Formats: sequence, C-alpha cells, structure tokens
Amino acid sequence: MNRVVVTGLGAVSALGSSVDALMAGIAAGTSGVKYMEGWSEYKGLRSLVGAPVVLENVKDIPRKQRRSMGRMSIMAVQAANEAIADAGLEQDVITSGRTGCIVGSTMGGAEALYESYKTILAEHDLAELSSMSFFQCVSHTAVMNLTQYLGIKGTVMATSAACASALQAIGAGCDLIRLGKQDVVLCGGAEELHPTVTGSFDILFATSTHFNDKPESASRPFDRDRDGLVCGEGSGIIVLEEYEHAVARGAHIYAELIGYDTSGSGAHISQSDKSSMVRCLKNALADADVQPEDVDYISAHATATIHGDGQEGSAIKEVFPASVPVNSLKGYIGHTLGASGAIELAAVLKMMQNNLVYPTLNLDTVAEECEGINHVRSLLNKELNIVVKNCFAFGGINASLVCRKIK
Amino acid sequence: MDEIIKMTNEVFVDSFEMEEEQLTEDATIFDDLGLDSLDMVDMVVALQKKFNVKIRDDERVRNIRTLGDVYRYIELLRDEGVTSDTSA
Repeated sequence: MNRVVVTGLGAVSALGSSVDALMAGIAAGTSGVKYMEGWSEYKGLRSLVGAPVVLENVKDIPRKQRRSMGRMSIMAVQAANEAIADAGLEQDVITSGRTGCIVGSTMGGAEALYESYKTILAEHDLAELSSMSFFQCVSHTAVMNLTQYLGIKGTVMATSAACASALQAIGAGCDLIRLGKQDVVLCGGAEELHPTVTGSFDILFATSTHFNDKPESASRPFDRDRDGLVCGEGSGIIVLEEYEHAVARGAHIYAELIGYDTSGSGAHISQSDKSSMVRCLKNALADADVQPEDVDYISAHATATIHGDGQEGSAIKEVFPASVPVNSLKGYIGHTLGASGAIELAAVLKMMQNNLVYPTLNLDTVAEECEGINHVRSLLNKELNIVVKNCFAFGGINASLVCRKIK
Repeated sequence: MDEIIKMTNEVFVDSFEMEEEQLTEDATIFDDLGLDSLDMVDMVVALQKKFNVKIRDDERVRNIRTLGDVYRYIELLRDEGVTSDTSA
C-alpha cells in the first residue's frame, strides 16, 4: 500500500480564520466561547453559549461561486485555501483528476435549512424559495461548493457521521491514497453554529447550561464541574498526499498517517461506550503497527459531557500506559461537531511540529471518573513522534487516527 | 416609472451585487449583467418580494432579455393592478 502524509493544514474556528490564529489563541489560553445574543428568544433552549466564527473577507469568493454557499461552505473554502497554500499545491495538480476531496459534516447548512423551512411553512408556499436554498441545505453542501470552487475533478465524497465526520473524511482519503486511487485528497469537515444545532443536544441534556454568565468557562472537558458540551463552528481542511508524490515536489511533511479505524458500538444511539472505544483504539494501533507505549500524546474527543468524558477516559486508561499525555481542545473552540476531527488534527500536527502539548482549558479539578490518565494541565514540552486523535460520535460511531512524525 | 426603475435596480444591487453604473436600460440580463438561469429564479423571487407580486408562473417572465424589459414588465403589472407597491 502507498504511504500517506499530511502536507497542508487549514482551519477556521472561533479563534480566527487561520491555523496560526488557532494556535495563537490556544497558546494564550483563550476560549472562543461567547454568550449568544438572541438565543434566549428560543423557548426551551437552556444553553445560551457557543463558539462562533467571525467570517472575514467573504467577498474574496466570487459571487457566482459564493451564492450557493452558506456559512459552512464559506468556512470550508477559506480553510481549503489556507491548506492548499500551506501545501504549495499548484493549480494543475488540484484539477488533474488525481486530486480528490472529502468533507464531512453532521448535517447540511443549519441556517439555510432553518430559513428555508421558515419561508415554506409561513404560508406553505414554495414560490418564495431561492434557487440556492437546495445547494445550501444539502448534506454535501460543503464538499460540493468547495470542489466547484477549486475545480476538483477527482473523487468527491461527503462523510456524515456527526462528530466523527471529519475524521472519517480523513480516514477515507487516506484509504484512497493507500490504494493508489488518488495522489492528493483534501479532507476535513465543516459545521455551522445555530440555535437549532445546540438545541438538538440541549433537549438530550448534553449541553452546558450553568455557565451562560461565564461563557469562557463553559466548555470544560474532564473537569469535575463540567455540565455538557458547547457547540462551536468552523472548518478544518487537511491536505493528504501520497508520500513519493510529496517528496518529489519537495513538500513539507507534517506527519505520516500510519493507522486508522472507524467502527460502530452497536450499543446505544447516544451513550458513549467504553468497550467500543477500546476496540477502535486497538484497531487503529494495530493498523499502525505500533504499541500503546509508543504513543507520545492523545488528543481526546472529550466534549465535556458527563458520560462521554468518563467513558473515553476509561477507554484510554485501559489501552494506554498512565504516562501518556492526554488533552482535549474543546475548551478553546467548543465542540465543532463534524469539523472537530480536522480542526483539532491541524492543531495536533502543529503541536507535534513544535513538540508542545497545550493543556486542557478549564480543567481545574479532574473528575473522579476521568482520573487515571495523564491529563495535560500546563504547557508540556515533549518530543512527539506518534500521536493519536479521537472522534467519538452520536450513533456509536467511533474513529481514531494514528500519526507519526517523519524525520 | 422612476420609482419602478429605482426599486428594480435595488433588487439587482442587493441580490446580485451589481454596481449602479452597470444598470442601464439596454443592459442584457445574461450577457451584460452576467446572470444565469439560476440567478433568473432568484431575480423572480426578489422581484416578488420587492413588489409584493406572484409572478413565478407568469409566462411573460421568459421574454425578459434586458433590464428595460424588467422595468416595462413591472410597469405592466402596475397597470394591470397586480402590484401597487410602487408610487410610480
């Protein structure tokens, strides 16, 4: 099988519209979580916090390409532009047919879906719908718009597995390159913040509701006082490339993707399941042909839900030595759902490059059920050669990725 | 008519990011203004909102070629009493 490496990173998040802005925010210990003005108008919505993106330079995208884009597609384009520039990919490579694109999301454009149904349901009249409603609503809106914008003619797919969507996109892209079907694949995810999205978690009692007056403290993975996730938004795009292809053009290589697994729990529609997480992690390590003790750092999914963090902590404790550093990045940027795997992987690979692990923000007191693993509580300087990224989604869909630095 | 022109031009500025100086009466919708078939759907939706009319199924929309055709079509609707949302 071909070897797969990462040669470009792009991210749009609540901390800014670039990977550098993301890393600067993380380094400064900044939370992008805000009180969401206007959300209190929704009856039954108790979580009034979110991690919104401030969109910039939207009109850099020509109107005819932008008209079919909602927020998530615009964020995906901006992240992809950054990733392509970072990778130094030339236009002829992007449009060659040997470059593909896989971008996942939990759902289509939340704002477009809301506005479309609002328009239709007001008078049960379809005549007021814009021709662009469909293109902004559909589940594959981000990848569809992105590939039209870039002129990509290779494999185009949209993964949809809630919070594992982006990591599944990266895993699927990895497989395409391993099998020799593509030389380059732009992979990642995109998601929009919207009261209906937060509301879907809120009615399940999975959101943070006690920190509306202290939004920067609301997203607190593994912490004793955590009370649920805080939705964020953004996009992460990762350039995957066949190793020889990358070497031949002298590309900078962040890491090699050496192991991946995605698998179901078959256990519960919403409850995280430790045993299936253990299986996913072991499968990914086996695929990578590395031992648990070889892993230098784990970037946890840990969204700050009561049940999920405990199950993931227990799974990590069972699989890995207690010395392996673990953090979650969701205190900084909230839970970006279908984008989280890619945005967070961009940050992880930057940390790997600099041999630094940033602490889990808002982790003041480790919850009893999350003890027994090496939580990163302050900036850690450590040689990072092998790292693991987790994404565990509603529907019992798990995904883990193993990356190794190329020296 | 001046009010119809003003309101129609507002649709093209707001919906299609046109510059005022592009909006001449003889400008063709497709070639000069660069709209396509998808934009035409949205032009109809925007005109419906602007003038409070229902025109999606009006066959006469298909004959529109220039911005002047849009002005005259709206004027016709006003004369037919279909829209009163213009003081022109």
